[in-house]
Amino acid sequence: MEFQAIVDRLRALEAPGIVSADEPRPANKAEKDPGRSGRPFLVIEPDKLVDFLRVCRDDERLAFEILIDLTASDPGADEPQLWILVELLSVRHRHRLALKALLPKENPTLPSATAVYRAAQWHERECMEMFGVTFEGHPDPRNILLPDDWVGHPLRKDYEFPTEYHGVSCE
Amino acid sequence: MGVLENAFEENVLTTKVDWLLNWAKLNSIWPMTFGLACCAIEMMAVGAAHHDIDRFGAGAFRATPRQADLMIVAGTVNFKMGERVKRLYDQMPSPKYVIAMGACATGGGPYYKYGYTVMKGVDRIIPVDVYIAGCPPRPEALLEGLMKLQDKIRRTAVIRKPAVTA
Repeated sequence: MEFQAIVDRLRALEAPGIVSADEPRPANKAEKDPGRSGRPFLVIEPDKLVDFLRVCRDDERLAFEILIDLTASDPGADEPQLWILVELLSVRHRHRLALKALLPKENPTLPSATAVYRAAQWHERECMEMFGVTFEGHPDPRNILLPDDWVGHPLRKDYEFPTEYHGVSCE
Repeated sequence: MGVLENAFEENVLTTKVDWLLNWAKLNSIWPMTFGLACCAIEMMAVGAAHHDIDRFGAGAFRATPRQADLMIVAGTVNFKMGERVKRLYDQMPSPKYVIAMGACATGGGPYYKYGYTVMKGVDRIIPVDVYIAGCPPRPEALLEGLMKLQDKIRRTAVIRKPAVTA
């Protein structure tokens, strides 16, 4: 299905937490709109993301079997919100869906998607250490790449680089 | 070999202890099977038929530090791995040698500025004998580094302490 058909189907199913659909558009100089390239995505309320994913997975006509990606992005040091980015794939129907959820940077918390997609485990662990997002209900919330005693969240724009680690200088 | 040369019958060979030990050491530098990043691919090429590190007696890649003489640090060393590298180095029996292969192991390489977990050179945790430039170095460069290490071993003395150089 195309993006619009997927959105219509999700609206018909009354999938929880849909905020809006965002599609690429050309720049409009009169309205000072810089436009947007890339692919269309759905904006979801973060609290309802897990319920939304369950609808996406279980519906016959959507059938998103695979969680391709779950990550975050920090749009800038001045921005108040983090983006949570999710990508789903249906092998059966050969369609994809991109999702985005906006989380406040202060104490970002999200229910874990591992109950719906077990593939989310490692993605969420990386998201936890790199952006400081807490995933409630994650079965194994350890660091996945960084050492266990690492301080800070490196992919946050306000991250301060360490000066030394275990006595080895980083300068 | 001095006054003793040809003083005995056939099949008797006279030499210096240092020369004999160094000859044995530098022609059997067994490296450890150990690669950290893309430099390890070049290291594997050196081990394969075309470049053939076996010509130098260094083709016996040992799967344990306890049998290895040489640690080729082939790749990016981050802090998490650095502690393991140090532990492996400590487990190697003396005399032991280290080659820092490539830009990362030498000084952090392309991760120098923004690599928050990358150690800016493996010589911050273990002593390095030979540094090899390149990103990654060509196989010939690694062989050159190995020959430099052989030169270094050739200059060492077991009985006589080497002259202190400032």
